Amino acid sequence: MKLLLLLLPFSLFAQLNIAVSYPYIGAIAKSIGGDAVNTTVLANGKWDPHFIVPRPSLISKVRNADGLIINGAQLEIGWLPSLIRRAGNPKTNINAKSFLNLSNYMNLINKPQSVDRSGGDLHPNGNPHFHLDPNNILILANVIKEYLSYIDSENSELYESNYKTFTKIWKLKIDIWNKRMLNKKGLKVIQFHNNLAYFIKAYRLKNIGTIEPLPGIPPSSRHTLNLIKLIKEEKPFGIFHDVYHSTKTAEYISLKTEIPVILMPHDIGALDSVEDLSSLFDYLTSVIK
Amino acid sequence: MKKLISLSLIASSFLFADTDLEQLKAQVDNQQLMIEKLLQKIEKLENKTITKKSNTALNIENIISRQEKIQQDNISRKVSQVGNSSSFSQNAFIPNISLVVDTSYVNRNKRDDEIAHLEVPGVVHGLLGAHTDGDITHSTYNANNGFNFNYAELALSSSVDPYFTMDSIFHLSPQGFEIEEAFVTSTALGYGVRAKAGKFLSNFGYLNEKHHHAWDFNDMPLVYEGFLGLHGINEVGMQAQWTAPTNTYLMFGTEVFQGTNEQMFGKDTIGDAEDPIAKASDGPSLFVAYVKSSVDIGDTTIFGGISYANGSSRLDHSGDEEPYAFSGDSELYGADLLVKHYFDSYSYLSWQSELLMRNMDGEQYNLDPNDTTLVLSSPNFRKKQAGLYTQLIYSINQSWKVGARYDTIYKNDVLEDGINLNEPSSLDKYSAMLEYQTSEFARFRLQYNHNGALFNEDGLRQNVNTIMLQANIAIGAHGAHSF
Repeated sequence: MKLLLLLLPFSLFAQLNIAVSYPYIGAIAKSIGGDAVNTTVLANGKWDPHFIVPRPSLISKVRNADGLIINGAQLEIGWLPSLIRRAGNPKTNINAKSFLNLSNYMNLINKPQSVDRSGGDLHPNGNPHFHLDPNNILILANVIKEYLSYIDSENSELYESNYKTFTKIWKLKIDIWNKRMLNKKGLKVIQFHNNLAYFIKAYRLKNIGTIEPLPGIPPSSRHTLNLIKLIKEEKPFGIFHDVYHSTKTAEYISLKTEIPVILMPHDIGALDSVEDLSSLFDYLTSVIK
Repeated sequence: MKKLISLSLIASSFLFADTDLEQLKAQVDNQQLMIEKLLQKIEKLENKTITKKSNTALNIENIISRQEKIQQDNISRKVSQVGNSSSFSQNAFIPNISLVVDTSYVNRNKRDDEIAHLEVPGVVHGLLGAHTDGDITHSTYNANNGFNFNYAELALSSSVDPYFTMDSIFHLSPQGFEIEEAFVTSTALGYGVRAKAGKFLSNFGYLNEKHHHAWDFNDMPLVYEGFLGLHGINEVGMQAQWTAPTNTYLMFGTEVFQGTNEQMFGKDTIGDAEDPIAKASDGPSLFVAYVKSSVDIGDTTIFGGISYANGSSRLDHSGDEEPYAFSGDSELYGADLLVKHYFDSYSYLSWQSELLMRNMDGEQYNLDPNDTTLVLSSPNFRKKQAGLYTQLIYSINQSWKVGARYDTIYKNDVLEDGINLNEPSSLDKYSAMLEYQTSEFARFRLQYNHNGALFNEDGLRQNVNTIMLQANIAIGAHGAHSF
């Protein structure tokens, strides 16, 4: 009986427990959900989003969730399906109304003309790293607001007002970032993997090459030499490098061409100073001096 | 005068009428302008809302109505088209398909026919190599010196309906076609409960559930292959698993199987059905239970479990050089522990160990090699055996891995009518490997084994050294990794 009383308070003040694949989704969901939503982030932001370790503890997190929000566009294909299968939770099944795939609401770019693994580990639906355009965050916030109101209509007014506040502040921030990036238009950059495609598009930068010869294929010496030649001809501003691949090849290229290697966080937690969604874009928009 | 007035009145009325008309006209014109302006405004507003909607594609209901519109468009388009060839096409429902091919090149210090006759005394006869049993050839992976085609594994998986998924894995090899797994899994039970039915690999221990291409070495540890055979506990039956609603991963599972394992858990009649050497045990005859748990400490994950299996043993070895049959009951205990630390997304150090202990108790029927229906003697046999493997794997980066493994059967008590046969008990094997992968889909592994667990017919230990180069190549659907 005592045990029952101890358990009771939890069910009385039940929050909606939403599991999300990546930290950035958790941040948006928390902003919109406020006190009504408890978010559980599955992936660690410092790791390669393509290769998250499916630790057994994540099975429990999915098992105990009232809903699941994923990035989609096959970014989670290598790690999330087995967790969902093992969790035995109908609320996180892909056909459940409490399952949300954000990529369904985005216009994806870089959709490959033809898909074949000889072209590397391609994403057949297009580039899945869409959250790195700050304008897309507004769309995602709206989708998440609609989703939360749909599965928890009692709190829809709260979600609506949180969304309005979030949008207002976020638009002000976008103005700041736009101003900061205004004179960077047309700058050429090299990347490791094309995970900043949406950021580059938003600020009219130009990606002229990647260090990996094909998506998901580690750097080769021949490709690296060609890239050095390209850099000497095109004179890009620098190398945008993710935090999870080794910067060894990038540093070699930097040494040969004297262009800087710039670490670009892809999500919250990728670098210690990137603690929330706006500090992510603060960081990204201030690296080009 | 009257005339004049009336005329002027008429004229003025005309005049007045003219101005009235003009006024009216102007008014109408004005109104028209206003209406046009309003229409324009409305149009603009409509456009705005439409672009807004298509830009931000938000409201779930709007999306549904958009989809309906698209469907409508499709309908009208389809009708205007002549061809209807795809009317009954079901391409969209093709399951996920993948094919894994495994081949190896092997170099041993023993000849192939020599290897097939070596045994792990008291545990298993003919651990390595290929041997023929009637029409069927049994073969371990990497059985022969030179090139080996181990298997082509075809996997199909898909949702069945909102309540089930189905998976099937077929092994095609020179020995034939084998249904490795074919099962349905529930998806809608809730409360962390999952049920499975069909033919599948038991979740006993850690390694048992993993397919060959997910192993860190080309071969199975001695204790697994010795106790359970190449496929481990791979049976027809049912499984129920429950993940507890706790923050810490805690999973309980139980399985019921028919019981057809050649090495340890069999149920079928041995000998002639009319006058059997050992009567069949009714199925299901194998029961498995386990608990697994896991904790994370920073970037380190500790994953462990304990397992138990209990079943009847009807083992027919009438085809062996020294033919015998065994009828009794067996128990298998397992404990496993995996500690994995991640340095980054691709580099980790993992330490994995498993301990297996078994008790077998029953009658051993020693058969006449010239007529295997004749029982020469039937002493009581008790086996108390235990072994373990422990391995360390270091993943250097996305392409390279190195690893070492020690495995042993350290306890080998075989009692015949209560008398210990003093079978050798320090049965050790050492392995080392180096792995290179060009991508997630192609892996090449060089492995060295020193096996000191094998004895010849004269009871002399035969050290077997093996070098193998294995290629494991996959195409098709991307399999999701499990921990």
